[in-house]
This record gives sequence, structure tokens and C-alpha cells, in this order.
Amino acid sequence: MSKDDITKIEVGDGAAIPSPDDKGLVSAWWVALIGTVGMLIALPVLKPDPYLTILKFVPDGIVVTFEVTILAIVFAIIIGLLTGLGRLSSNRFINMIASLYVEVVRGIPLLVQLFYIYFALGRIVRVPDIVAAVIAMAFCYGAYMGEVFRAGISSIDHGQTEASLSLGFDKKQTMAYVVLPQAWRTILPPVGNEFIALLKDTSLVSILAVADILRRGREYAAESFNYFETYTIIALIYLLITLLLSKLISAMEYRLSHYERR
Amino acid sequence: MNVVEPIIQIQNINKYFGAFHALKNVSLDIAPGDKIVVLGPSGSGKSTLLRTINKLETIDSGTIIVDGHDLTDPEEDINAIRMELGMVFQSFNLFRHLSVLDNLTLAPVKLKKMEKSQANDIALRLLDKVGLRDRAGHYPIQLSGGQQQRVAIARALAMEPKIMLFDEPTSALDPEMIGEVLDVMVTLAKEGMTMVVVTHEMGFAREVADQVVFMDQGAIVEQASPDVFFDNPQHQRSKLFLQQIL
Amino acid sequence: MKKLLFVLGMFLILCNSAWAEKEIVFATDATWPPMEFVNDQKQVVGYAIDYMTAAGKEAGFKAVFKNTAWDGIFAGLAASKYDAVASSVSITEKRKKAMDFSEPYFTVRQALIVAKDSAAKSLEDLKGQKVGGQIGTTGYFTIKTVDGLEAKSYDEVGLAMEDLNVGRIAAVVCDDPVAANYALDKYKDTLKIAAVMESGEVENYGVAVKKGNKEILDLINKGIAAVKEKGIDKELQEKWIGQ
Repeated sequence: MSKDDITKIEVGDGAAIPSPDDKGLVSAWWVALIGTVGMLIALPVLKPDPYLTILKFVPDGIVVTFEVTILAIVFAIIIGLLTGLGRLSSNRFINMIASLYVEVVRGIPLLVQLFYIYFALGRIVRVPDIVAAVIAMAFCYGAYMGEVFRAGISSIDHGQTEASLSLGFDKKQTMAYVVLPQAWRTILPPVGNEFIALLKDTSLVSILAVADILRRGREYAAESFNYFETYTIIALIYLLITLLLSKLISAMEYRLSHYERR
Repeated sequence: MNVVEPIIQIQNINKYFGAFHALKNVSLDIAPGDKIVVLGPSGSGKSTLLRTINKLETIDSGTIIVDGHDLTDPEEDINAIRMELGMVFQSFNLFRHLSVLDNLTLAPVKLKKMEKSQANDIALRLLDKVGLRDRAGHYPIQLSGGQQQRVAIARALAMEPKIMLFDEPTSALDPEMIGEVLDVMVTLAKEGMTMVVVTHEMGFAREVADQVVFMDQGAIVEQASPDVFFDNPQHQRSKLFLQQIL
Repeated sequence: MKKLLFVLGMFLILCNSAWAEKEIVFATDATWPPMEFVNDQKQVVGYAIDYMTAAGKEAGFKAVFKNTAWDGIFAGLAASKYDAVASSVSITEKRKKAMDFSEPYFTVRQALIVAKDSAAKSLEDLKGQKVGGQIGTTGYFTIKTVDGLEAKSYDEVGLAMEDLNVGRIAAVVCDDPVAANYALDKYKDTLKIAAVMESGEVENYGVAVKKGNKEILDLINKGIAAVKEKGIDKELQEKWIGQ
């Protein structure tokens, strides 16, 4: 039996997550990090007006961006797990609901969904904008996450399930004790990617008047007319965050794969 | 042949995969302590037959009664029945994310609610038995195929099953590793375990089997003691099979 | 046949550009009824549109309007993507540093819009609550001048109105003609104008042009002067605002 028969899920978008084996990406990561940090320090020092002013203006936006991202990813993972299991369910009804959800969400642009859920929610319940934003993001990303979970679970050799069943575990126990703990290994890289993609996509919630990094920057720019300088800083902040996150995810992935190493 | 009540009663079972008739009216009784070796060319339905015994394959007609439980009865708790049936697979199927020790203790701890320390004791004793106590902390990927299969046997034994099912346990192994696995199986047989073994190892069949069951094209063609089957096969297809194999 | 059409087309285009008067492209964020907005025939219409068209007629230029998102509308002007911005831009000292303004073409005040059942009469009554305005507008800046308010910026004033309508925010501050359009028409059952704020100094709309673009500025000023002289502005107020 091959040692490398763990299925890798192909990833289309999101940030590049450096694996310790990918020398090119690792050194590119360092260059990007040093460049980003360097510029974030040099610009405000060399030209405090407006760069330092901008840097002072956006931090609460960073907090909001993280709030939305983390809350949304937690819910998206829960929704995604349920959806993934639903998509693999032999129960026709559950399968149908899960598949329908994925079809609908994947067919509508995120921006449209955000507007739709935001204003539709507004008609039904009175929730704070940030909650509406989280619900909208989680609803959308839950579908993508569902496909990641489905692929991850399917990638686990059926022999593992049979071995578990033959010991007397039922299907749920088999999923919980045998399949999911292994699927995590396959699922984590794309989940990490979705996490970073989601963080970037939270910039869309600024359209819903949620005061994230982007909106704080735009508010500053609209008042000062320093568009170029503002967007330079905003881009650098996003880049710094995603660079650090991609490294963190790569480290987690490495830890999780301990049982694949001899 | 046997006066004792059979522990496994297979009666007139049929199994289809789509249009393919995989098991044709198969009947087989297995007494406690019996060692049954199922032989046959690939595609003869021998693995399918074995897998129906713990319901990894469902059957389309007929009945299977294991230790008094009717597998076709939807009221029966299949998971409880499976705890009495240990199974060893061709591809080992050790839980890749668990250490050797945890592979052995997972089911006793979760299913029998056994204390972890007690489960560990049992597991280590079983690892001793298969000669792999020093590998308790290793992960499956760090073991050779023969070692993995011995761990897989120990994992099945950890649930203290009444019956052991072996589905071509040595077919995926390099030749030099087959012996170590067969040794464990011979020891198990000598201890009186009820065993149903699907294999191509004729030497093992001769040495261990009480009965040899020869299958071809989904049906049992001949059932005999190993001496009779190997030295004086009754059916033309059995003879043909033995000529090709030996 | 195709060739003939092509030649004819080229000829028309040449004629057109040769004979046509000077064209001035105005950027406008057409989400600000009744000053500039998109009507149900998908045309950009409104007080400012009619005003600049009339000014063009008087001063000899052709006013062309380009619907542009408010956020970034001045960045586009600085980048010469269009000649002018006619989009209910209030003339402020800060803006004057970044661009040049025409003579005022409309005088405006900031209005406070609240839910029908609200008792608030001023921004000070709304301490601790969320108040919305369009990003980069004088309405939004007004909110930010009051301490203790949570200012919320929107891309379009309509989104702020929708959030006010469903109760996510407590009030909206915007120019009074716009306020009137929403509170007295679209949302007349749920919203009301609580106050029209006297900010002390007069707030005027002017057309913004890129700093130093005197040629365009003079043309526009000439047109605005003529419109005022002939009383066309009064007619337009009658037509669009009804005051």
C-alpha cells in the first residue's frame, strides 16, 4: 500500500499556502512578508501625513474584519459539515435539501447574496448589521465548505469504514471516530483556503455599511481625498494578514499530518 | 456431521449486484470451533459470501443466522452481532490516524465502555501474542504489511469475538511476510477459535481446515475435508481448479 | 452595402464632432433623488441634470452625464476621467483645497430623518445610537461632529434609508431635498423629517472641476449665471422639488 494515497483536494482560489516542501513558495512568502512589513513601517515613518493618519484610522476596522471572518467561518464549518454529510446521506430527502442548498448558493454571486440576506433579514428580524453580515457570509461559505467536507469524507478509503463497521460501530460512530478524524487532514488545506478567501471576501460586507477595514479606509479617503495612499495601506494590511494566516494554516496542516510520517 | 447446534447457519441465500448473480442458493452450516476454508477462483463469490456473514453485504433472499440472531430480521441490532464477529481484511484497514495501541483499544473503550487501562492491558497482551508489543506506539504507516495484518488480527481479537472472518488476509502481502501472518492464524485455530477463511493458501487449508468449501460462479461446488478435497476431489471443476493452482 | 454603411457612419461621426459644440462630461452619482437619480426609463434625470443641460444651452456646451459611484467620484475627477462632478457636491473649505468649484447652483440644508414614532428632534437626542449617512457627504460629516453618536457610512443614501426603515439605525442625515424625497414620498408611512439643521453657515452645491481647469469652469459658470438670470432655476425647483 502506498504511503501517499491521501487524496489532495484541488484548490482553485484562495491564498497560496506554503507547504514546507515547496521551496519556491516558501521563499516567495518571506520576500512578500518582509516587503509588506517594510512598507508598513517605512511609509508612515517617511511620510506620516497621510500614512500614519490612515494607520491610526483603520484598526477598529481590522477588529471588525476579524470578528466577521471568525464568526462566519465557525458557522460555515458547522453548516459545511452538516451539508457535506447531507450530500453523502443515503436518505433521499436530506440529500435533496443539502444538494439544493449547494446548488442555489453556488449559483448566486456572493455580493448579491449579501445584499439579499441583509435586506431580507431586515424585513423579518431586527438584527445588528454585523450579525446579518455573519449570517450572510456563513450561509454562502457553508455551501462551499459543504463541498470541501464532502470531498474530504469521500477521499477516505472505504476500507476504513468497513473495518469500523465490522468492529460493531454504527455509521455515526464510524463517522465520528474513524472517518472525520482522518478527513480533517484532507479537509484542512481547503478549509484554510476558504478561511483566507472568506477574510478577503469580508471586504464585501463594507457595502452593507459594516465598518470593516475597507469601509474605514473608504471613509478616510472620502474625507481626505487621499485615495491612492489609503488603498496602498489597506492592500498592505490585507496582505500582511493573509500572509500570516497562510503560514499558520501550513503549520497546522503539518502538525495534523503527524501520522503520515514515518 | 456435527451434533452441536451450528453457530452460523446460511440457508439458500441469493445475492445480486445489479444483473450479476453473485451468490446462487448458497447454504452452509458452521459449528462452534469449526475452521472453514473457502477456496475458489476470483469472482467465484467467496469474498461476497464471507461479507454476508457480518452483513457488510446484504442478501436478496434466504436467511443467515449467527449465534441465534437472524441477520435478515430488521429488529436485530446488527452492531451487537458484529461485536461477536471479528473481521480481517485483505488490505488490513488499520485506522491510519491511530497508533497501534489505539487501534486495538478504540472499539473496547467506545463500545464495551471498558476502562482505558484495562483495554490497554488486553491490547498489550494481544500484541504480545502477535509478536508486536514493541510497536504499540507506532502508526500503521510505520509498519510493514505483515506487521499491519498481525495488528489487524489483534484489533479484531480485542473485542473478544466468538467467530473470526478472514477475507484473503495474505493476498496483499509480499511473499516473505505471508508466513508471519499465517503463523498467527494457526495459533488462533489451535486455541479453538471458530474461523471462516477465504484464502489462496493451500498449505494453510490443508493444515488447519476442518472443512474446505470450494466455490465457483456464485455457488458451492464441493464441501469436503481437506484430505478428500485435495487428494480426491469429486467434481470436475474442483479438479480443474486444483490443477491450475498446484 | 456594409462598406457603404461604414463610410456613411464615418462621415456622420466626423460631421458630428466637427459641428458639435464643446462637450462637457459631468460625473453624477444618480442615487440622490430628486437632484440626480435614475428614473424608471433608466435615464439619469433630476434637478441637477436639467440645470446643467440648460446651462449648456446658454453657454454653448453639450452636457453629458456619466453615472458614477459616489465613493471615488473625486478620485476619478483628479484622474481626468470626466470634466466635472455635478452630484449635489456641497462646497466646503476642505474640498476647495482638492478641487475647484463653480458658482453655487443650489442652496441646501441638512435634514434629520427618523422613524415616524421617534421623539428625537436633533442629533443630540440620539446619543449612543447609530446614525447613518452616505460616505463622504456633508450629512455624514455632520453626524461625526456630534460626540456620542455611532456614525455609520453607507455607499448610497437609499441603503441608509432602508436600514432606518427596518430599524437597524435610529436616524439618517442627508441634504434636505433628498430627505424630502424619501420621507415625504417613498417611506412616507414609516419615516419623517425630524429637523432641518441650521449648521450656521450656508451650504451650497457647486460643480467641481479638476484643480486649475479654468476653461471648463468658466464655461460652466457662464451657463449657471445665465440660468439664474433667466429664472430657469426657479422653474426647475418648481418641477423637481415643488417648493
